[in-house]
Amino acid sequence: MIWYEANLVLIEATFINFLLALSIQIPLRVGVFSFAGVGSYGIGAYAAAILTIRYDVPAFAAIGAAVVLAAVVGYLFSLVVARLSGLYLAMATVAFVLIISVLAVNGGELTGGAHGLYGALSDLTTGGVIAVCVVVAALLTLTERGPLRRRIEAVREDPELSLSMGIGVVPMRQLAFTVSGALGACAGAMNTLLRTTVSPEELNFHLIVLALTMVVIGGSRSWVGAFIGAVIFTWLPSLLSVVGEWQGVVYGVVVVLAAIFMPTGLVGAAKDLHRRIRGRNRAVPTAPDDVKEEREVFEALSDDSTEGVR
Amino acid sequence: MVETLINAVTLGSIYLLFALGMSVAWGTIGILNFAHGSTFMISAMVAYYLVQQVSLPMPVMILIGGAVGMLVSVLTQALVFNPIQRRNPDLLKAEMQIVVGGIGVASVLLAIAQNLTKSVPFGFSASTFTIRAYWVGPVQISNVQLVILVAAAVLAGLTAWWLRSARAGLALRAIGVNPEVASLMGVDRGRMALGTMAAAGALAGIAGILLTYYLGSIAAETGDSLLISAFAAIILGGVGSVAGVVTGTMILAFAETLVVTHLSGTWANAVAFGLIFLVLLFLPRGIFGRKEVRRT
Repeated sequence: MIWYEANLVLIEATFINFLLALSIQIPLRVGVFSFAGVGSYGIGAYAAAILTIRYDVPAFAAIGAAVVLAAVVGYLFSLVVARLSGLYLAMATVAFVLIISVLAVNGGELTGGAHGLYGALSDLTTGGVIAVCVVVAALLTLTERGPLRRRIEAVREDPELSLSMGIGVVPMRQLAFTVSGALGACAGAMNTLLRTTVSPEELNFHLIVLALTMVVIGGSRSWVGAFIGAVIFTWLPSLLSVVGEWQGVVYGVVVVLAAIFMPTGLVGAAKDLHRRIRGRNRAVPTAPDDVKEEREVFEALSDDSTEGVR
Repeated sequence: MVETLINAVTLGSIYLLFALGMSVAWGTIGILNFAHGSTFMISAMVAYYLVQQVSLPMPVMILIGGAVGMLVSVLTQALVFNPIQRRNPDLLKAEMQIVVGGIGVASVLLAIAQNLTKSVPFGFSASTFTIRAYWVGPVQISNVQLVILVAAAVLAGLTAWWLRSARAGLALRAIGVNPEVASLMGVDRGRMALGTMAAAGALAGIAGILLTYYLGSIAAETGDSLLISAFAAIILGGVGSVAGVVTGTMILAFAETLVVTHLSGTWANAVAFGLIFLVLLFLPRGIFGRKEVRRT
């Protein structure tokens, strides 16, 4: 209990980073490289701060309004960038994030300019934050099993094949942008209400980098990966205080090694290891239906994934 | 008025030197190097520590910057990007891992520089070079600006000629069109990639030295903001095209200068991001971009 009290800020930060990481991960799961969730984090943070300071609304209403606003913005943004793909789309979403931070700096009285907003006091508790995260994780678990998961994987691995099989790729991507906006805004709004302040400096390139590295290191296929990433990158700085001023170097080296050796993240690496061990122990591997189905999808899809690119 | 024009062209030339190698690497070997900004900054920093020991003339400083940039870029390619591409046959997945790997390299270099310089801006005041201003008719131009303009024009011209006319340039462009067919035709992809990254790093290093001379001093974080501007310029002109980079960097430099002189400084950042956005919407392949046949 003493440990809990002493590390309350880090515990809250873990859950908020978890939601932020999810806002990058959801588009990745349908094969879209988008950072728009970080922009939604900014929208959510400012919307919640303005509602709380000006209109004194209760916490859940402020967060709810911020989430709805960012979800709508996310949907509209997905219509705007519908023609883009790959790194071009990624660059457009980086531009979206940075434009939001410039708007925050130049927003005058509404956004408090370069100093941001102060005094957003509310009744949001740590328990509330954790409850929101549990609900989100439970909902995401539903998308990670059964037919829905196979559809999401098909859209990611081969959009053309999915279209020919009657899976709506475009609606799926629009939905991903909308959900990503909602999750990002939820993280931003809760962070603002817990810290009572928001400033444009929070919304920089480093927040994009943090969100991406959490997902890449944890794993991009499941919410568990995002959670592991959030835990690692929230607690790493305090653990790395041992190496003192060189923690930036260690952080960078960890990211580089993960990019080279663990392209599917920690969760993917653990799954591979698990499969290899099980395969060695059993002479005739009888995979459960779930895994078999997954393998069939991949076999069907992996035939033409390398040819004809560019 | 004419001086504002010259300042804009100088800024554009710096952008050009910086973005040229990045654009060629992205358009041909498919590597978008996020560590390009840190390569640029670390080259200027090494040159700064050398000039603190020995007072060096400007040409030597430029050579040192180019050599350091080349070394850093080659190491990044050999130790990070090449292993990633070897492990990921799928180009789209490799692209994302390369972006992440580049971010990692960038944060290592940035952390080293911030520790060594304590985030204090550094400059080349110990160099033997002194800035002089000349009057050409009614127009004032400094010798640093002249060097920057000449360097950018010569190096961009050389790159364009090499890509168009040299046999190796043809091979490099072939990789950009279709890596598999190019390797069937006997193009050594690994060697070409290493050479391209070496040239791109050298250009970044030279840009780092020249910008430091021009501004008087730069900080460890300067590379990051330049990276965003370079993205905007490359996307504006079209990835992989030299004419495109020249056009993109000049348009960006003029737009930024215009906004700073007519609006306020806080909006200048929005120019690059806004341009990226508008161009991607209306001209997704840029002004000079070639039509890319690519599966989504």
